[in-house]
Amino acid sequence: MEASLEIPKGGFSFDLCKRNAWLESQANYGSSSIIKKAKKTGTTIAGIIFKDGVVLGADTRATSGPIVADKNCEKIHYLAPNIFCCGAGTSADCENVTEMMASNLTLHRLNTGRECRVITAVTMLSQYLFRYQGYISAALVVGGVDSTGPSLYTIHPHGSVDQLPFVTMGSGSLAAMAVFEAGYQEGLERQPGIDLVRAAIQSGIDNDLGSGSNVDITVITPEGVQRFRNLDKAEPKYKSKNPLFYPKGTTKYYDEIISKVAIIEGDAMEQ
Amino acid sequence: MKTKPVAEPSTRTQQPIVTGTGVLGIKYNGGVMLACDTLGSYGSLARFRTVKRLEKVGDFTVVGASGDLSDFQKISSMLREMSTSDSAYDDGCNMTPRDIHQYLGRVMYNRRNKFDPLWNELVVAGFRDGKPFLGAVDLIGTMYEDDIIATSFGNYVCLPLMRKAGTNLSKEEAKQVMENCLRVLYYRNTKSSTKIQIATVSAEGVEIGEPFEISTYWGYSAFQHTEYHGKRL
Amino acid sequence: MQAPQLPTSQVEQPKESRFSPYQNNGGTCLALAGADFCIIAADSRLSLGYSILSRNTPKVAQLTTKTCIASSGCNADMVTLQKYLKFKIQMYLHQHGKEMSTPAVAQMLATTLYHRRFFPYYTFNIVGGLDQNGEGCVFSYDAIGCFERLKYTVSGSGHALIEPFLDNLVAYKNTDNKPTIERSCDETLELVKDIFSSAGERDIYTGDFVDIYIIDKNGTRYEQFPLKKD
Repeated sequence: MEASLEIPKGGFSFDLCKRNAWLESQANYGSSSIIKKAKKTGTTIAGIIFKDGVVLGADTRATSGPIVADKNCEKIHYLAPNIFCCGAGTSADCENVTEMMASNLTLHRLNTGRECRVITAVTMLSQYLFRYQGYISAALVVGGVDSTGPSLYTIHPHGSVDQLPFVTMGSGSLAAMAVFEAGYQEGLERQPGIDLVRAAIQSGIDNDLGSGSNVDITVITPEGVQRFRNLDKAEPKYKSKNPLFYPKGTTKYYDEIISKVAIIEGDAMEQ
Repeated sequence: MKTKPVAEPSTRTQQPIVTGTGVLGIKYNGGVMLACDTLGSYGSLARFRTVKRLEKVGDFTVVGASGDLSDFQKISSMLREMSTSDSAYDDGCNMTPRDIHQYLGRVMYNRRNKFDPLWNELVVAGFRDGKPFLGAVDLIGTMYEDDIIATSFGNYVCLPLMRKAGTNLSKEEAKQVMENCLRVLYYRNTKSSTKIQIATVSAEGVEIGEPFEISTYWGYSAFQHTEYHGKRL
Repeated sequence: MQAPQLPTSQVEQPKESRFSPYQNNGGTCLALAGADFCIIAADSRLSLGYSILSRNTPKVAQLTTKTCIASSGCNADMVTLQKYLKFKIQMYLHQHGKEMSTPAVAQMLATTLYHRRFFPYYTFNIVGGLDQNGEGCVFSYDAIGCFERLKYTVSGSGHALIEPFLDNLVAYKNTDNKPTIERSCDETLELVKDIFSSAGERDIYTGDFVDIYIIDKNGTRYEQFPLKKD
């Protein structure tokens, strides 16, 4: 017993992870547990290499258990001017990992005075994720163009890396991969490449419950980056014939104070 | 020796042994098509290479199965017995595909109630009175009819492609879709093979084809060098 | 005190796959009763985990000319239960030469569910229709047969999203100024469509189509309403 209480001399300690797991199993938190409530991007993300560059795609649904938490979130993150990254898994992990990596890559550029290579970003990400042994649940698709040409990688939460001509990740990865396996060709032109990624993401949106709403696309070529937000949109919500209307007095009130407010300048509030 | 707690339910088939993977079913113009590969896996071992998983029942129906193959052979013999006695009555009243689907659903549900399931996902395809039929049953008794059905891993990989293809297909087109889906399934499923079998049911009756090989492609130049620490092409 | 046993990593424990007789196939059921009508509806998506098995598998079944049942939860149990009820109702018709009334169907369902108290039907049922006086009635159940007659109810995966909405819009629990005119059948139908399209936006297990049954003195009318497919 005593031996197990000793503080380990070297290496990382995952005692807190164990403690959290234990707390969760003991106190009957059930579905209200913090860890379980974390917003996930039950996701379809995908990327391919085409003739002159890389196309990245993502759906825009974020879920929290069976509930859609965000109908139009952004899952294609900036890493460097020539490198972008799609994230699946826990939203917070994806966002923070990519944000941190974007900062580190900026510093790297300032230090070296050169454009970042995709492999640099991938290596830094995989080493970072490996240190946390999968507890940072970010599954990434990294794509970019550098001095060596276009390249595409996936990084799993435990830190393993794959380099392939077409990749998918997230809960809709199989639905999207099926489209790639059926339709990928070497040396695709730009537009067919974009269309293939669109079809793959749409396949995830239609068939996977964790994915939904719109298609986002980012195209990276040596000439620059083009970002298409909501390139394909989900059909709009049914428009009610009897929109809700609550007459004044629905909620009881006891006092009324009217004051005049002058608006000097400002935009209309965002809806 | 450890004894089981009293509250443990008694179980028989706790896991499948020799298994088959995805069965695909699709309606096309004028009929229904079933397709699957012929691999019988023993865990991750590709144990039997030519196992037929499509069974003709009566004159209008084919049943395809994924899951435990011994359980399916039991089901097949049950169905054969039933269709024999059905035709022995000679009353001009034969079981329809829907009848067989419902019957299988009841069998599966009753076995799950005994905690002794028949570990299968079955697809029933039929054609009767000018109407196609396609239905699915699984080991707990889930039953549904649809125009497009895929079981086990085919659910994740093939169903999206089949839904994309739709059901407005000629027989030849439907065959292309099935072959293509099973090819993609083979690319992504460790438990499927390239030796496949296709059955069609239409006004002409049941036709179960012989197993044949489908082609695959691994020639992408980008596949030849994928170590990310290594040299690039 | 015993030291807590530290669990191993949460991430990848070897999974023991064991036979489970239950599945959750999702779906939402809803019923609203008016003075002389009843609307009962359910979506037609059949899902398992994150995949859609079928987009068009009905959850609502018509039991008599003025009674319908909608059930979500485990499809295998739902099919069995509805089949059994139809059989019993047919037998009742043969034995008594008349149709079973909605409250009688409701009572029978409760008895049937409780009969399997220790190996329950994993279904969340709603019975809707007209009672002997021609008034709209709705019955709500738990999985083991506790039931209650209500003016409106909802069950299944969209339950938590819709119930407060109905409390507000149908029972007017938010206000003392309740409207004096009741909602008409057409207005109620529109409300059902609104509710399902909203639930379909936010509940991943609700979608594809809604099967709507409108029951009034003229009989039962069926309508299908499309939802988003994603």
